[in-house]
Amino acid sequence: MHKKFEKIFSNSIKGITFFSVMILICIIIFLIKESVVIFDEISLLDFIFGDKWNPVRNPPNISIFPMILGTLYVSFVAMTIALPIGVGAAIFLTSVVNEKMRKMIKPSIDLLAGIPSVIYGLIGLLVLVKFFEIHFDFSSGESVLVGGILLAIMVLPYIISTCDESMIKIAKRYKMASDGLGISKWHMIRYLILPASKKSILAGIILALARAMGETMAVMMVIGNSPIFPKLLGKTQTIPALIALEMGGAQVDSLHYHALFAAGLVLMGILFVVNMLFYYIKKNIDY
Amino acid sequence: MKKIIRFLMITTLLFSLILTGCGNEVNRDQAAESTEDVFKSQILFKGSSTLAPVLSKISTEFIEEYETWDKVNKDFPNKSLDIFVSAGGSSAGVKSVIDGSSDFGMVSRSVSDEEKGKIEGYQEFKLGVDALTVSVNPKNQIYKLKKNLSTEEIQKIFSGEYKYWDQVETSLAHEEIVVVTRDLGGGAHGVFQKKVMGDAQVKADAIQAPSMGALVTKIIENKNAIGYASYGLVNQNGGKIIPLDVDGVAPTKENIISGDYKISRPLLVVKKGTLLPQEETFINELLSEEGMKTIERMGFVPAK
Repeated sequence: MHKKFEKIFSNSIKGITFFSVMILICIIIFLIKESVVIFDEISLLDFIFGDKWNPVRNPPNISIFPMILGTLYVSFVAMTIALPIGVGAAIFLTSVVNEKMRKMIKPSIDLLAGIPSVIYGLIGLLVLVKFFEIHFDFSSGESVLVGGILLAIMVLPYIISTCDESMIKIAKRYKMASDGLGISKWHMIRYLILPASKKSILAGIILALARAMGETMAVMMVIGNSPIFPKLLGKTQTIPALIALEMGGAQVDSLHYHALFAAGLVLMGILFVVNMLFYYIKKNIDY
Repeated sequence: MKKIIRFLMITTLLFSLILTGCGNEVNRDQAAESTEDVFKSQILFKGSSTLAPVLSKISTEFIEEYETWDKVNKDFPNKSLDIFVSAGGSSAGVKSVIDGSSDFGMVSRSVSDEEKGKIEGYQEFKLGVDALTVSVNPKNQIYKLKKNLSTEEIQKIFSGEYKYWDQVETSLAHEEIVVVTRDLGGGAHGVFQKKVMGDAQVKADAIQAPSMGALVTKIIENKNAIGYASYGLVNQNGGKIIPLDVDGVAPTKENIISGDYKISRPLLVVKKGTLLPQEETFINELLSEEGMKTIERMGFVPAK
């Protein structure tokens, strides 16, 4: 009886796992199927490395290099801002504040991740963009920098959570010994906790980067959506914003429509490469 | 004690199950009597984000007034009245009619012959006209100094040939012009491109707003912004953005209806094949005087 039950259980688990992998495969197949059409018109290299996007013009220009750079640039700015703050906040939470404070602060940081992205976008548009227009004399505040700042706030909870979880374990492990040896708290953080949580910081970066690159709504509202090469204080467009902005207006089965799918495929490719790269680095970091 | 409560609970639950079962049976019989075919009580609209608020307003009023189909017309069965409206862009509206994923498509541009070819038994209902006004922020002095822009001037502003406001009118401040557009592949931009820009291209660093609302917000927020806000939204935000004349014609209701004001687009509801009786009732409601009034209240120019 028990054996039978176990068999059913293991089979259904296998089935469910298989199913979720199948979903991924189906999505990839669908994306490829919808995007290969454009490669009759334009070579893959021209699509990725060309610099003009104007699919409704005759003849159409469909190249997404500015958007690829825009996506990478905005995410890079976001990570530069979010990483030090995130790791710092995690150290503060695990090593500086007492248990009671920690229990109050941690949930509110987690709550930050639950705010819908369109709300972030709204705040970005009405506060951040306006701030740069008024105080820094920008002709228009929409820029890579504003997008980066907004994304940094959005990915912070991911970095903090991943770092915090492992740091608290590490701190517990070394606390007794380092207290016994009379090592100061800051020395312990610098030479014990930080090096030991290298891996989880990296994991946090992957999670946050993936989230930053895929973020659509909030970014779309504050970067101006101009398909030009990104400058820190200039407008730009990211791939998810491009797709969200133009999908509604693209005629079915037109070149435009398939080009947007191809852009989605490229985005997935980039994310895949980033994940692989980090996975490889992570494997080679020893504890 | 606990056992008794548990027993009572189970019996009530069981009974309620049996009773609901009976209820369903009765309903099914009634439905079978009144109509042979399954009566389609839902109507789906999909498409233009400009038209979606109008349609949902009219349909909400329609639903609140009648609640069920039999109150609309005695011949219809007693089924709840459901009209769903979802926005996703004009082309998405046409797309949904072609693949049958919605009953009606809302389109705020003229439907191309190529698209008409894909829809068997194409029908369209014109609800009204929406005009795009070339609007600026009230802090921009241009509307006092130079109320009228010619098509060439608008072309030069949007294509980036005029970079600063003092190039448009020498007494204006030397500040950069911030051009705001909708997405360049969308319906609204298609109208603007055709009616104003012609072969000229909008400059690459123009801001592409994700919706007409966002475009208007940008003009309200930024004193150097210029963009093509829809006539409806200009009226709703009276005083916060200022529309300019184009080629000497002001974007007023009369000029838009007569066709003198050139940057305008039709608001259409399109349909594949013949209308079901219940759909026809609702379309008549849209085209009725009440419907037209709602369209006008929402800031568009009604077709009748």
